Amino acid sequence: MTELDRDEFTAGYLIEADEHVRSAIANLLTLEQALRSGSPQHRHIRELFRSLHTLKGLSAMVGVDPIVDIAHEMETILRDAERGSTKLTVEAVEVLLEGIRAIELRTSAFAQKQAIPVAPTHLLEALAALQTSQGSARTLATSAGADKDSLVLDAQLLAKLSPPELEQLMASIAAGKHAWRIDFHPSPERSAAGFTISTVRERLSEIGEIVKVLPLSVPRDANAPGGLVFALLVLSEAPPAQLASASGTDASKLTPIALSRAAVSSDASERGSYESDPDDLVQGNRGVIRVELSRLDDALDKLAALVVTRFKLANCVNELRDRGVDVRELTTIAGEVHRQLRDLRRAITRSRMVSVGELLERVPLIVRAMSRSTGKQVRLSVDAGKAELDKAVAERVFPAIVHLVRNAVDHAIETPEERVRLGKAPEGTITVTCFEHSDAQLELRISDDGRGIDAAAISRRAGREVPTDERGILELITMPGLSTLDVATSTSGRGMGMDIVRRIAVDMLGGDLTLQTTPGRGTTFTMRLPLSISILDSFSFVCGTQAFAVPVAIVDEIIDLTLEHVVVPPAPVARARAGHTRQLAARLLKRRGEVIPLFELASLLQLEAADPARCKAFIVRSHGQPFAFSIDRVLGQQEIVVRPIEDPLVRVRGVAGTTDLGDGRPTLVLDLVGLSSVASAGAMA
Amino acid sequence: MLKILVVDDSKVMREMIIACLRGVPGLEFSQAASGLEAIERLSLGGFDLVFLDLNMPDIGGFEVVEFVRSQDTLKALPIIVVTTRGEESTRTRALQLGASRFMTKPFQPDAVVAELRSLLHDRLQDHVQDRLTEVP
Repeated sequence: MTELDRDEFTAGYLIEADEHVRSAIANLLTLEQALRSGSPQHRHIRELFRSLHTLKGLSAMVGVDPIVDIAHEMETILRDAERGSTKLTVEAVEVLLEGIRAIELRTSAFAQKQAIPVAPTHLLEALAALQTSQGSARTLATSAGADKDSLVLDAQLLAKLSPPELEQLMASIAAGKHAWRIDFHPSPERSAAGFTISTVRERLSEIGEIVKVLPLSVPRDANAPGGLVFALLVLSEAPPAQLASASGTDASKLTPIALSRAAVSSDASERGSYESDPDDLVQGNRGVIRVELSRLDDALDKLAALVVTRFKLANCVNELRDRGVDVRELTTIAGEVHRQLRDLRRAITRSRMVSVGELLERVPLIVRAMSRSTGKQVRLSVDAGKAELDKAVAERVFPAIVHLVRNAVDHAIETPEERVRLGKAPEGTITVTCFEHSDAQLELRISDDGRGIDAAAISRRAGREVPTDERGILELITMPGLSTLDVATSTSGRGMGMDIVRRIAVDMLGGDLTLQTTPGRGTTFTMRLPLSISILDSFSFVCGTQAFAVPVAIVDEIIDLTLEHVVVPPAPVARARAGHTRQLAARLLKRRGEVIPLFELASLLQLEAADPARCKAFIVRSHGQPFAFSIDRVLGQQEIVVRPIEDPLVRVRGVAGTTDLGDGRPTLVLDLVGLSSVASAGAMA
Repeated sequence: MLKILVVDDSKVMREMIIACLRGVPGLEFSQAASGLEAIERLSLGGFDLVFLDLNMPDIGGFEVVEFVRSQDTLKALPIIVVTTRGEESTRTRALQLGASRFMTKPFQPDAVVAELRSLLHDRLQDHVQDRLTEVP
């Protein structure tokens, strides 16, 4: 093998690259906050450096050189900052964020197999400039003077701690936290019992914070068969017995780490700020793996095949029963299989759920960028709790969330001067909250404390009556083509109005959108969304001037309908509808030596049919029998969101649900198999 | 079977290294996702060669090399250090600490195989078999 097969690693590369990009953004945002408030956050620089370093190496392997170039420059800045030779500034964070955006742009070009744009010169220059000019204004230095002698700890260990680690230990102890040294000796027996350095570290980090793990060489003996001991330095308020059992040792092996007197009295108060670390943005993803969506879809497909097999099994059981065979045990087993299949389906569906918190990860970035471009001060608070959504819903609803948040910054939140004049805090607040409303629904709220919606002004501009209630206001602002400001700003208010939000939430996802607004006080939009939706690969087609959709899976074949293949059947069926314009299976289709019933779909649906000479037909199988349905023309193949028809009054056999093909109008999704049985029953009559 | 430990916090990177060596018979691969995990597994023995990334979240490759060389039983273990562009300056340090070879990403499969062969020469299966077939 002379060349690595890059395609084989593309998916893996993209998944890891995405993880590093996300982690880098979170770290940069946290870092920026830390720089403004002046509390040192060395860990974030370290993590950032690692992310970029890994991105660089991986990108080099798959041959995405522009990313290598960008990451290399960024990495250099961070390495210098990490070593303390230069200091990171707020301005530097800005350029680094730009770098991350540039990297992301290129990974997505790579994903779509497009040409990857070279690294932008202005970015590389800006990054290079940072490498020489760092060290001004607000800086992120580790406060000097971490005094090694004031920590009561083995000299061998002390020598191996970096200044930030030392400082973290000392500050935490000074603030009253408990610090421990826990020794873990790896051995084959401990490993067999589930105690390896990785599992011990994982367990300990659940009940405390690991400052450092130091490997130390020791003489080989029964307790240390590998000649190795790991000294874990841990901050934890858990009782010693719990720490010991997490690390597979006994409490007597724990050594408390203390500060010598002098240090306690000097710095305690000053260092207390460590406790309020804004670390929420950066969390470890322990026990989480990321899977390509196509693999889950594949699993669902396999499951669907299994469901068919189960039906075959049930048929066999019925046949046997009809023949008088005792099938009680078989029936029980078949029932079990049915239940297990249902559970399996649920389990797979669950694994497609993504956390809403993760979905909203990018919103702070958007708000941040917008408050810069508008000059408004905005604080964003996101509370998504543990809510989860089907990936398919999440992907579709995200643009609506972004739109609402952008609108809030752009139109709702006032400028700082205006807010002060109105007696409000200069900084506006946008809150995004989310919780599970029921087993099947999620509620998402986007609120602002801005100026509220001026319904009178909007109605005047739209030439409509002033609405009297909030429902009317919602209807007014979601009118297609309406923008809430006459001046188009750079981000919203151009083209895409609120109607898109309603279309996504209501028309596409079958959810609900409401609003509450108080002039001068703010606006809240509430979306209720289904936790999951069914996505179907479908053919869209026209029949009698109307558009319809059918699942691709049930269509055996699409054929051109030529008149010479169509035969009018002999007497009984034809007579039933003779002279009638509406023909059911009045015709048959000759195909590969077989004669199959041909239904005119337009007639079945009581629509005007097109010229039969230019028709196409779907071949569908029902109970093993082929049927043909004539249609006018096929529009295309696309993924659609099917919404079931819940109202029993409108529920019709042959109609599986409705969808939106993108034109905002509801389109019927037909169940041609169901329709074929309706039609053949009609033809027999 | 020769046992190879591949140490890198990136899963794709580990898989790529293993893929490079697919054509070499008689190798068995283990993976470690962190420096600490690597040290633990190496201390318990049984490996014939290590591929080692320098930059990892907990302890870096240097510390792993240092530990390995401090152990009597691991003194002769071949270590191939794998790094990224820009780290060439670290080459000297890695070699001083006791790394056997130094490879920079991106690398070609041929180069990986060549490094491995140069370190394990006569212990490789196909080599042994070649010699066996020479015996009349």
